[in-house]
Amino acid sequence: MSLKNERKGAYYIVTLVIIIILAVLFTFPLYWILTGAFKTSREINSTSPVWWPSKFVTENFAKLFSKRSAPLFEIGGLQGPTIPGAIRWLLNTVLMAVIAMILTCITAAMAGYALAKKRFVGKATLFALIVCAMALPKQVILIPLIREMSALGLYDKLWAVIFPTVGWPFGVFLMKQFSEGVPNEMIEASRIDGAGEARTFVQIIVPMIKPGIGALAIFTFINSWNDYFMQLIMLSKTNNLTISLGIATMQAENSTDFGLIMAGAALASVPIIIVFLVFQKYFTKGITMGAVKG
Amino acid sequence: MKKLSIVLLILMVMMAAFANGAKEQATPSKSISLWTYPIGGWGDDAKVKALTDAFTAETGIKVEVQYLTYADGDDKVNTAIAAKQAPDLIMEGPERLVANWGAKGYLVDMADLLDAGDRAELNQATLKACLTADGKLYEYPLVMTAHCMAINLDAFKAAGADKYVNLTTRTWTTDDFIKAVDALYKYYKAPVGAVFCGGQGGDQGTRVLVNSLYGGTFTDAAHTKYTWDSPENVKALKQLYEMPGIVYDPAIAGGDEINLFRNGTFKMAFCWNIAQQPLNDQKTDAGEQIVFMSFPAQNGVAQLNGGIWGFGIFDNGDAEKIEWAKQFVKFMCDGPKTADAVKTANYFAVRDVAGGQDISKIWADDATMNEYNVLMQYLGDYYQVTTGWATARTCWWNMLQAVGAGNDIAASVAKFAADANAAAAAGK
Amino acid sequence: MAQIRKSPLTRRLRRQETVSSYLFLLPSLVFFLGFVILPMALCLFTSFFDSNLNATTPDRFIGLQNYAELWKDPVFIKGLKNTLIIVVVSVPVVTAFSLWIASAIYKMKEWMLSAFRCIFYLPVVTGSVAVTVVWKWMYNNYYGVLNYVFKGLGIIETNVNWLGNPSTALWCIIVILLTTSVGQPIVLYVSALSNVDTSLIEAGEVDGTTKFQNFWKIKWPQIMPTTLYIVVITTINSFQCFALIQLLTSGGPNNATQTVMYYIYYTAFKLYRFGYGNAMGIILALFIAALSAVQFYVAKER
Repeated sequence: MSLKNERKGAYYIVTLVIIIILAVLFTFPLYWILTGAFKTSREINSTSPVWWPSKFVTENFAKLFSKRSAPLFEIGGLQGPTIPGAIRWLLNTVLMAVIAMILTCITAAMAGYALAKKRFVGKATLFALIVCAMALPKQVILIPLIREMSALGLYDKLWAVIFPTVGWPFGVFLMKQFSEGVPNEMIEASRIDGAGEARTFVQIIVPMIKPGIGALAIFTFINSWNDYFMQLIMLSKTNNLTISLGIATMQAENSTDFGLIMAGAALASVPIIIVFLVFQKYFTKGITMGAVKG
Repeated sequence: MKKLSIVLLILMVMMAAFANGAKEQATPSKSISLWTYPIGGWGDDAKVKALTDAFTAETGIKVEVQYLTYADGDDKVNTAIAAKQAPDLIMEGPERLVANWGAKGYLVDMADLLDAGDRAELNQATLKACLTADGKLYEYPLVMTAHCMAINLDAFKAAGADKYVNLTTRTWTTDDFIKAVDALYKYYKAPVGAVFCGGQGGDQGTRVLVNSLYGGTFTDAAHTKYTWDSPENVKALKQLYEMPGIVYDPAIAGGDEINLFRNGTFKMAFCWNIAQQPLNDQKTDAGEQIVFMSFPAQNGVAQLNGGIWGFGIFDNGDAEKIEWAKQFVKFMCDGPKTADAVKTANYFAVRDVAGGQDISKIWADDATMNEYNVLMQYLGDYYQVTTGWATARTCWWNMLQAVGAGNDIAASVAKFAADANAAAAAGK
Repeated sequence: MAQIRKSPLTRRLRRQETVSSYLFLLPSLVFFLGFVILPMALCLFTSFFDSNLNATTPDRFIGLQNYAELWKDPVFIKGLKNTLIIVVVSVPVVTAFSLWIASAIYKMKEWMLSAFRCIFYLPVVTGSVAVTVVWKWMYNNYYGVLNYVFKGLGIIETNVNWLGNPSTALWCIIVILLTTSVGQPIVLYVSALSNVDTSLIEAGEVDGTTKFQNFWKIKWPQIMPTTLYIVVITTINSFQCFALIQLLTSGGPNNATQTVMYYIYYTAFKLYRFGYGNAMGIILALFIAALSAVQFYVAKER
């Protein structure tokens, strides 16, 4: 028995060591970005890795905030005070991700409920279409999408990035999985009480699938924040850029300023990591509940 | 905390309102848009603003500037064209303006801006590159330079290779180049230079290097077809491939090469020009002396590849905006601010007289610029206006990747040159 | 699958339900049809044309010529192959890897579990562009940390040009893709494993079954729904590797990391052949639709 325990202990230790090594590898990019943001370009570009800044410098952030400027907002002809471009880009990114998140959650929860709990003509076709389109990379529809956005007058607006994100049917699929978990009896009971469709949805369904909505919200937020391709294609004016795009435009001809990139990357990733850490519990709970139902 | 979130929320709503499509009324006054690649200081907001503000002060026309990069700028412009949202003005070279967007019919002919005086004042080779065969002017040039290479002089001295370079004329022969690379490789036991081919960034460097080693050319003299499958070029590619001191590296492009040169990994950079030279006091990160050089050639005299930059105007169907854009072009290229516009770019002016003022002496007190003049005499043919250029340069770095991967050199070159020539033929 | 209780709905009621269903679907459909299906239809339409960026030459109908050309285009074939490799490799590897991590950490103390869960999720939230920049440096031939560490450990003798070598480049991309893909599966597996009904395992232990048998016979069937879901999301994720390729290799070296997604972009914006790019898109879409159909068929069978 003791031999078995010993072996078990050894196995546990080996596993733990491997997992810790992997954990280091997974944390490394973030570590490198955060320290790199305070290194001089020379240190980042050094031929042997500089693991820790010899002296914390703020010149990268100074450059990040001074090289481009943009008005805080524009409404009609009215312009807000001029602020560093990076801040405006950060606000743009937050705005874009939040709107995409809210729209996706609302539309997907409604559609998911209908798909899970209602019978209607064309349901099978629609569901098949959703499933097939889920994995579709946006590069496929790149050119028509640009033309469509231009025709709608949305090109170079945040909406051009938001709408395709909302249209992506994964959210509907996820919400359908969740809604299926709602017992039919509850819906029936609500009907018998004389509640209309809208009230049943708001009072019965939504509270039941709340964890799922939470998971979808975080999921959409992160995805939309990271969707570099759509941002690259759809946005061009300095005032309309997102943070990752904006940093890319600050590169000089034929040389890469790694310090600036690291500062920008730090600025872009810290808010989203905070969002993740704050909502982590909610996220883990929501994500799991939906998936376990096959 | 609560207050902050409320403020943020209000802000978001306000911006949402803006994003909702207030663009139409956003700029009631006269305004044009300018997209510029990072051409020296033309990528720097503060410097550009000084120039555009001067223009606005004089004409009342506002200029909205948007900065592009070489990494994805072309894609941005192409998307904007596809979305029918091209800018009014664009700043770049004839390789994009004349050979690509101009040839595809998106730019306005500015020949009416050129009077006989301008035609005489402008550098003739530059003017020729900006004009199409049928006399349309799709780019009004502002500055030019010769692309060159750079060496780490201290490293050369350490390896005893400095005797192979002539520091007065800044030239060297092909044999000297081979000997120098050998000496450096023996000394450092690692590659000392790279034929970078991770993308099109900085490709002028690899083009001139290959062309000049054995006297090959990139296109024919009439700019109708690509000639980089010639025996001279194949020989050069083979020579470079066989040199242990030179690697074909598909993981890096021009910008990465410069970083590797600056941090001391490479002892020479093929992607160089005058704008790079003054940075960091002409030294590498470790403080070694950087010296610019012409490319090696059999007789020592290479045909350097030129860079020309100026403005093009997109035809967005708005005659008024085109007129304003033309005013801008004239203001910057042949007006009171030309000297500043040139200095901002940190290259050489394409004319001695602009807007009636003598601008030939603007670099007189700049030692580096004066020194660099020694290279300007080696400036060769500006062939980047050959039809199908965008495709051809893509074929070029793909070809280098194939050669670097060990594929048969002559066959790879022939295949990619054929693709480039197909694009040239299709574009006619 | 829950079904609505069979009741003798009259035709009127049935129509009413269809109407109300579509009212619920409407907001979602506007976006889905408008910004996914409609562009897809336009894509199909354009794929029959010789369409380019030229203002002077109008689009020309050429029937199936674009499609015919595709099969003779070695770069497209290579891209299709690589796309397949990425999906076929990353889906099982992500699934197995995250299952292994999850089973190793799910019994740990709460704070450790929580910490590991976060750490493995970090690459997802750090942002793809930022992570890619760091990886590009890590893979660097001349001064990247990977060569530095491997050489220090004596694993390799000379520097390896990870992204510049056609035989390693694709795997390097897949590794990054893995680190940005396992976050969610690990979270899922951890919960699935903690929810496994342990009474069966205890009973099994009394009968003297091995750990391995325990896993296959008892745990694996119970976490099957989770596995299927992970397979679906990982498949989706694998097709979204565009940014990695664009920022790291542009499809090189020598097309070693070419994928259909990148080649579509390249064809459209470097070669200016919209029709041809759209034809590629249609083929890829069909390919993905087939794959999704198979996955869902398998899922239903379970």
